[in-house]
Amino acid sequence: MFHAGHRRIIFFGLVGLFIVQSVFTWTTATAVNDPDAEYDASAHRGAELYRDFNCTACHQFYGSGGYMGPDLTNVTIEADKGAAYARGIILSGTQRMPALGLTPQQADDLVAYLKAASASGRYPIRSMDLTPWGTYRQLHTDDH
Amino acid sequence: MITDRDIGPWYLLAGIVALWCGALFGVIGSWQHVLPGVVDAIPFVKSRPLHVSLVIAWIFLAAVGGVYHYLPQLAGVPLHSKRLAQLHWVIFMGTGCAVIVSYSMGRFGGREYWEFPPVLGIPIALGWLLFAYNFFRTVASRKGPWPVYLWMWSTGVAFFLITYAEANLYLFPDFNGNLVRELTVQWKAYGALTGSWNMLVYGTALVVMERSTGNTAPALSRTAFLLFALGFTNLLFGWAHHIYPVPSAPWLRLLAYGISMTEWLILARMIRLWRATLKEGMDKRHSLTHRFLFASEVWVFLNLGLALLISIPAVNLFTHGTHITVAHAMGSTIGINTSILFASVFFISGGAINARARWGFWLMNGSLVLFWLCLIGAGSVKGYLTVTTDLPFQPIMERVWPFLAGFAIAGIGLFTGLTFLAWEAVRLLCTRGGAGTGAAALHP
Repeated sequence: MFHAGHRRIIFFGLVGLFIVQSVFTWTTATAVNDPDAEYDASAHRGAELYRDFNCTACHQFYGSGGYMGPDLTNVTIEADKGAAYARGIILSGTQRMPALGLTPQQADDLVAYLKAASASGRYPIRSMDLTPWGTYRQLHTDDH
Repeated sequence: MITDRDIGPWYLLAGIVALWCGALFGVIGSWQHVLPGVVDAIPFVKSRPLHVSLVIAWIFLAAVGGVYHYLPQLAGVPLHSKRLAQLHWVIFMGTGCAVIVSYSMGRFGGREYWEFPPVLGIPIALGWLLFAYNFFRTVASRKGPWPVYLWMWSTGVAFFLITYAEANLYLFPDFNGNLVRELTVQWKAYGALTGSWNMLVYGTALVVMERSTGNTAPALSRTAFLLFALGFTNLLFGWAHHIYPVPSAPWLRLLAYGISMTEWLILARMIRLWRATLKEGMDKRHSLTHRFLFASEVWVFLNLGLALLISIPAVNLFTHGTHITVAHAMGSTIGINTSILFASVFFISGGAINARARWGFWLMNGSLVLFWLCLIGAGSVKGYLTVTTDLPFQPIMERVWPFLAGFAIAGIGLFTGLTFLAWEAVRLLCTRGGAGTGAAALHP
């Protein structure tokens, strides 16, 4: 039914669609609505520190990361936490999290990164507003 | 003198060492969840990347070693360049050592999986380019239609480079301007990268099946190509099921949902053929190679079923960000990928069932069942409490702890089984190289 030529057409057709999807993924499909969610220079430095200290080994954003520590997506806006709380933990550590030896400026940069994360959306999703197609309402919008 | 058949076993040996070391760091990491402060000399921030990088290295080394070994037989010509294959091995080993040294010095890449200082990605990409060149120059000499496994290997080789490049785009500020883009592009790359190594591994499974039975028809069948097309489509477009909660454009995530659900066809086919699969497994249980192939089928069924469930967004609400994701990842990389690669290793080295292999096989698979179930249990508790209550992280983890303890205990059994198998594989490879009965018993 499908000859080698047909297979090549299907294969490279799918690759072409992949390229189109990739361009959208890198651009419009991942734009944020809230300008506070865009990284400024301090947040960029904070993102780099987050990588340098391998924070993702223990922490998550939107549930992605290690499970030794809590999710940090909204830590700077949670009722019993906030930016000052996050800054304190970054500088002094906890029983399970070591003090990383960061300077106050570096802590401020990490907090800027966490603030940008908080502005990007809400996690976890606690309202089970399900649809008949196996999805939930928030999946149909990019405004969480 | 190095011959074509000698190159593959070099990779297999290195892969087995990487597997054993990676499993050891995995045991350490699992107990660090249960007993904080254990093995403080290797903190979790180091034991996790050591574990992940080494076990991924095992998958690539064993898969690539298999390709180097089988390809001359399949193409009907010698490998295009033995020297390039040797150089690739040297680059792989050197970079691997550099990655381990960087972790020990506290230098990380900071990405979620398979991460290391970005500069070390250059030799990895270079080595893979050598492999790709060697592969395509060799396979181009093959006459006649390509069996599906050559399509799969070609896809895996090419898409590793594409997705690996994409995984490093975050180094450019335009691709790293907000968390939504950062996570989405990361998981687009990693999801497809996993698909790339799966193409290499599953292609290897088909080669081993063909070589061990002499039946070339399945790899040329329409069904095989339809399944390949299904897998390839999922590689390209299914990755966003890893990040449903991330607020990217809805069409991206809904497309992934639809694409992911096409794999119910594979599960339905496995159910339809279960009697034949079981009979074949029982008939060939005296072959170590076929034991591992059968085990991989069982784990494909279990992990595919789990993956399909957690790819339904309404279910994913509870399971995302929990140990159920880990159960899927480890069930797949150990139960499926490692089983297939052990099948290939023992086929190449001529492994037969003896006491050590039998103990290793049953310890590995028996422990993996408990390991997998404990992770599912831990994830179920974490997910339910996270979504339905306002309990903070620590009280939730206290309720999860018994499952993590079970997982850590099972991990010791799993490590012991892998040790027996690694010992047997190294013994065979060192004494027989690539001259096992499987490699020698070529069917025209």
